[in-house]
Amino acid sequence: MGPLVPLQNISNELNLLIAFVIGLGFGIALEQAGFSSSRKLAGMFYGYDTTVLKVFFTAAITAMLGLIFLSFVGLIDLDIVYVNEYYIYSAIVGGVIMGAGFIIGGFCPGTSFTAAAIGKIDAMWFVLGSMIGIFIFGETYSIFQELHMSGYKGAVKVSDVLGIRDGYFALLLILVASAMFWLAELAEKKFRRDDITKEI
Amino acid sequence: MNTRVILTIIFISFGSIAAMLPKQKISSIQLEADDLLRDIKLRTHLVSTDELADLLINHDPTLLLIDVRDSVEYGKYHLPGAINIPLKELLDEKWLPYVDQLSKHNIFYSNGTILSSEAGILCRQLGFKNNFVLEGGLNAWFATIIKPEHPGSMATSEELDQYARRKAASMYFTGSSAATDQNSAPALPPVPRKKKKRVQGGCS
Repeated sequence: MGPLVPLQNISNELNLLIAFVIGLGFGIALEQAGFSSSRKLAGMFYGYDTTVLKVFFTAAITAMLGLIFLSFVGLIDLDIVYVNEYYIYSAIVGGVIMGAGFIIGGFCPGTSFTAAAIGKIDAMWFVLGSMIGIFIFGETYSIFQELHMSGYKGAVKVSDVLGIRDGYFALLLILVASAMFWLAELAEKKFRRDDITKEI
Repeated sequence: MNTRVILTIIFISFGSIAAMLPKQKISSIQLEADDLLRDIKLRTHLVSTDELADLLINHDPTLLLIDVRDSVEYGKYHLPGAINIPLKELLDEKWLPYVDQLSKHNIFYSNGTILSSEAGILCRQLGFKNNFVLEGGLNAWFATIIKPEHPGSMATSEELDQYARRKAASMYFTGSSAATDQNSAPALPPVPRKKKKRVQGGCS
């Protein structure tokens, strides 16, 4: 269990088992938040339901605070926590494609699996479609390779770029998140739509 | 007060505490006293002067000698091919590619072994691999390779063999001609040499 200091020397199998349990937990949390409903997910883009924003931002700031406090009490080594490597252009292109797929399909990759797990047929097609997409990307990777690798910035953290301590950035992000939640509630009132889930 | 306001207040207060926490460096790569003691017993972190001479004469491409003395001393004398990283600068950003790597075998040396051992322990503490220390430092290098002493007439054939090799290495490094030793015993039949111990540890 890599960065958790007390669990440094556990076997790879147990490590994978823990990852599996955490993955199940993630799926349950998504389902609990109502993310297996396309209406809820697409609502983010139309402004009538901002649950996506609220859930993901709450999760992010909770995890962030957890990491900072665990690191402070010496239970986690932040230096070996994997930080995703940042490629500017592929992040932009990927973000646009992902956003478009989000509105069109009504799911994001994680939620499509939770919805498929509770038997939604559109989600199963969504999963199949993403698999085909992955396959096509893999087979034609040589065409995209240059774009994929351009604008490499390495594994950077926002706090490093801004040159501030992780704790300050955490507080800043919490304040921004609180402001965004407040704006999101306003948007929900403005773009309100009646819940038609029971009628369809 | 509704739940949202309460939650916001909780998050902001935790965030404020996080912002006030002092910056703390936690490293999970700890140098265990047991490991260190085992290394000292087995001498795996040390490279003898004979082994070093062998590596240098054979132009071992994986060898990198690092002089951890200051630049003045380095300027006066240094081993062939050695680079100078003063101990104080060892962990500077610019030297990290030299000390934290997997392709070379670094050998630290100083006049004695105090500076070089400190460098070796610092690197082990940080989890860097392939760093070794020259046993006895430059003092031992001079005493054994540059000016080897004849082991005496009662010496065993192994000792004489080692002396001959050191003498040859001395010629190689100083360019001096072979001094014929009148007192040396008559040439012994060639003794099969033991294969030299390679530098141990790391990814070798």
